[in-house]
Amino acid sequence: MSLEANSPILVVDDYSTMVRILRNLLKQLGYENVDDAADGTEALKKIEAKKYGLVISDWNMEPMTGYDLLRHVRQRPESARTPFIMVTAESKTENVIAAKKAGVNNYIVKPFNAQTLKGKIDAVFGA
Amino acid sequence: MAKAQKKPTTDTASDDMVVQSILDLGDRLKNNPGGQMTLTDVIGVAELLTSSLQPLLRRIDVTMQKELRGILKKIVTLRSEISKVHADDIANNRIPEMGKELSEVVKATETATNSIMNAAETVLGAQDLAEAEYKELVTNQMMDIFESCSFQDITGQRVTKVVDTVEVIEERIVVLCEMLDSHEKGMGPVLSDKEQSKKDQLLSGPSSNGVDQNAIDAMF
Repeated sequence: MSLEANSPILVVDDYSTMVRILRNLLKQLGYENVDDAADGTEALKKIEAKKYGLVISDWNMEPMTGYDLLRHVRQRPESARTPFIMVTAESKTENVIAAKKAGVNNYIVKPFNAQTLKGKIDAVFGA
Repeated sequence: MAKAQKKPTTDTASDDMVVQSILDLGDRLKNNPGGQMTLTDVIGVAELLTSSLQPLLRRIDVTMQKELRGILKKIVTLRSEISKVHADDIANNRIPEMGKELSEVVKATETATNSIMNAAETVLGAQDLAEAEYKELVTNQMMDIFESCSFQDITGQRVTKVVDTVEVIEERIVVLCEMLDSHEKGMGPVLSDKEQSKKDQLLSGPSSNGVDQNAIDAMF
């Protein structure tokens, strides 16, 4: 499995600044087909309407958190195998374990840099 | 020298007399099993019981007075401490001021971040320019970044003000807590499920006791 440069990526974060940072980092990595959503509910609607090659989501959002979004994504047969990376300040072991159990493909702790993001995307897609 | 006997208190003496009188009456009734109790006997017993209750009631009265005095003293002290808290000042000035300061911090950091990102995006989008032109543009954008970073000084001052206010409020709350009984200390506000969930989320937000990226990578 690989992530094509034109594969649509969904970035989910309630902070527009973080969305902008992720968009720029992804652009530098060669991914320009990026959509965004401000929370899990909005993201889920977009995932139901479009097939994404990768979802990158924050954890703490309202009304639907990134963790709940992950569980919903995994419950839908259409998106059950969509690669999902959590990018969050939630770095407690129990959070990481919960996300892993729910089916997250990788986990990035904020603050992070472009190299970390690239490393995790590569790891998810086995590059 | 003979040891001085402790003088019985009025209540003790009275109690002894009542007990003795009841015992005497009991003996009389026991020694006269076939006899009937007269009205005089009944009145006598009633009088004895009434008189026996009087010292008890006096003692209860004194204890209650002491308790009430204690409660009154506590209320007066508590009122005095509450007045020192200046709740009006906290509610009307300090907390709204804290909210304003924090809003300004959010605005300033947002403005600075956007400005820095604008500069970065401008530089990244100008790679096709001629070298001299590109160099000038990069220099100008770097200067913009330096200027934008000055937000830290102002936000630092604003956050310090907020920290000072929180410390003042904390000190006053600690004094109030110390005034209250221990069973009241553990009482927290009653939160709805939604409020509790929001509080939990805030409490579990960015923290310094999490694991680092390397530890997380090891889990994957």
